Amino acid sequence: MLRNLLARRTDWTVLVIACGLSFSLMVLERHEQARVAWFIQHTLLGPFEAAMGWMDSAVGVYWDNQHLRQRLTRLQIETDALHGERQENARLRQLLKLEERHPYSLVASSVVGRSLDRLGGSLTIDKGIADGVEAGRAILTPDGLVGRVERATQHQARILTLLHRDCAVAARIDRSRVDGVMQWEFGTQPVLNLRYVSSQEDVKAGDLVVTSGLGDMFPAGIRIGTVARVSLDPNGLMKEITVRPAVNFRSLEEILVYLPSTLRGSAPADLFLEQPEPTAAVPTPSAPAPSTSTTAPSAPVPPPPAAKPAPGAITKGVGAPPESVSSESTGMATP
Amino acid sequence: MRDGIVLAIVLILQATVVYRMEIAGIRPDLLVAFVVYLGWMRGPIAGTAGGFIVGLIQDLDAPGPLGLNALSKSLIGFLVAKAGFRVHRSNIGVRFAFFFVAMLMHDVVYFAVSTSGDLGKFIVQMFFVALPTALYTTAIVLLILTLVESVSKGLLLTDEA
Repeated sequence: MLRNLLARRTDWTVLVIACGLSFSLMVLERHEQARVAWFIQHTLLGPFEAAMGWMDSAVGVYWDNQHLRQRLTRLQIETDALHGERQENARLRQLLKLEERHPYSLVASSVVGRSLDRLGGSLTIDKGIADGVEAGRAILTPDGLVGRVERATQHQARILTLLHRDCAVAARIDRSRVDGVMQWEFGTQPVLNLRYVSSQEDVKAGDLVVTSGLGDMFPAGIRIGTVARVSLDPNGLMKEITVRPAVNFRSLEEILVYLPSTLRGSAPADLFLEQPEPTAAVPTPSAPAPSTSTTAPSAPVPPPPAAKPAPGAITKGVGAPPESVSSESTGMATP
Repeated sequence: MRDGIVLAIVLILQATVVYRMEIAGIRPDLLVAFVVYLGWMRGPIAGTAGGFIVGLIQDLDAPGPLGLNALSKSLIGFLVAKAGFRVHRSNIGVRFAFFFVAMLMHDVVYFAVSTSGDLGKFIVQMFFVALPTALYTTAIVLLILTLVESVSKGLLLTDEA
């Protein structure tokens, strides 16, 4: 009887199966969902991803060329100006007897694939393990933090942007030094939420939000965004803080992969906000934040420090001579 | 076979070119349009199964829960096939209505789940995201259909399925 019913109503049976499977996937735990997604991507969609990268390279050449020409001109002017400032910076540091900061490298990369979803939670870039890009590396643009590398193959890497629920960032209000965890909440517009901030803390609309460096996933001081709205949660215990990201995730074409010599290193001045000197940096004890608040829930273990910059990387550091800094340094000043 | 090739082209276009067509944060969703086409031309089984597969592929890249796009697209594939059984697919007005309404229906399911039942958020998303996306996508799809049909001198969406 059941067989007859199924035979007569095949279309409804297919619908029930499809909806049942969809619901089953939706109610899975997050890590199980990730496992299923990983399996499907690696078994079925590998060739498609490669084709997607090729297509974007082919189609984007004209636009990229125009964009890069303009950018090159602007950067040349900025580089000349920065050369003088770098020398001045070195002289002043010497005068103040400040310690040299650790060098870091930035690997420029192009976006070759995008999320099929309208929210754009992931990207594919054209640099991989061969260029020193590994899982967990921070991804930046001159505007601020983009996200982190989720996984890397030899010549490509997949990026989780901040608009992905698996990409949480230890963040700090720059003005009041209040710590929290920045995470996108599914179902809203492309805005972020700063969580685990007590209702007693000093946070106002318009405050800048930067990475705190806690958890060693992202270096401290990278611009994340601006506080758009502050309210209290229904219990009145915690603040609900909405943050507008500094980066426009929809129009990303070139990004920078941060390769630290040590993750506690310094920050590129254009990307990272000015960090107060140690004597001035008195972090406000934040919220009754849980101990996990400093790392992403599913954050991978931070990779070991890179022994040396990858080939083609833009290496920087106060101690480095000016000649060692490429003119393609995307306009970032020496820390 | 032809549907597979069309799907591959649509997926590549969606991942690489469509973001360049964004207007005020709104970009066309060619994947829903493909599911509508599949359901309309190939019937409820192909529409539902195709919608599920396309949605699942989209879910793999999406920041939201796995299965949400699969669910909404399976339903749309099925509903379009059932509703569009005896209509004139070659009529431009019918095409517009089907693609537009199907896009809206898809987003009703999508945002109903993604807003977790918050009516205020749901209405905002429908008004500011779903409606303009449906209009934009429908316009783009009708343009593509017209272009392809005039070049190939045949109908992609024929009255005889």
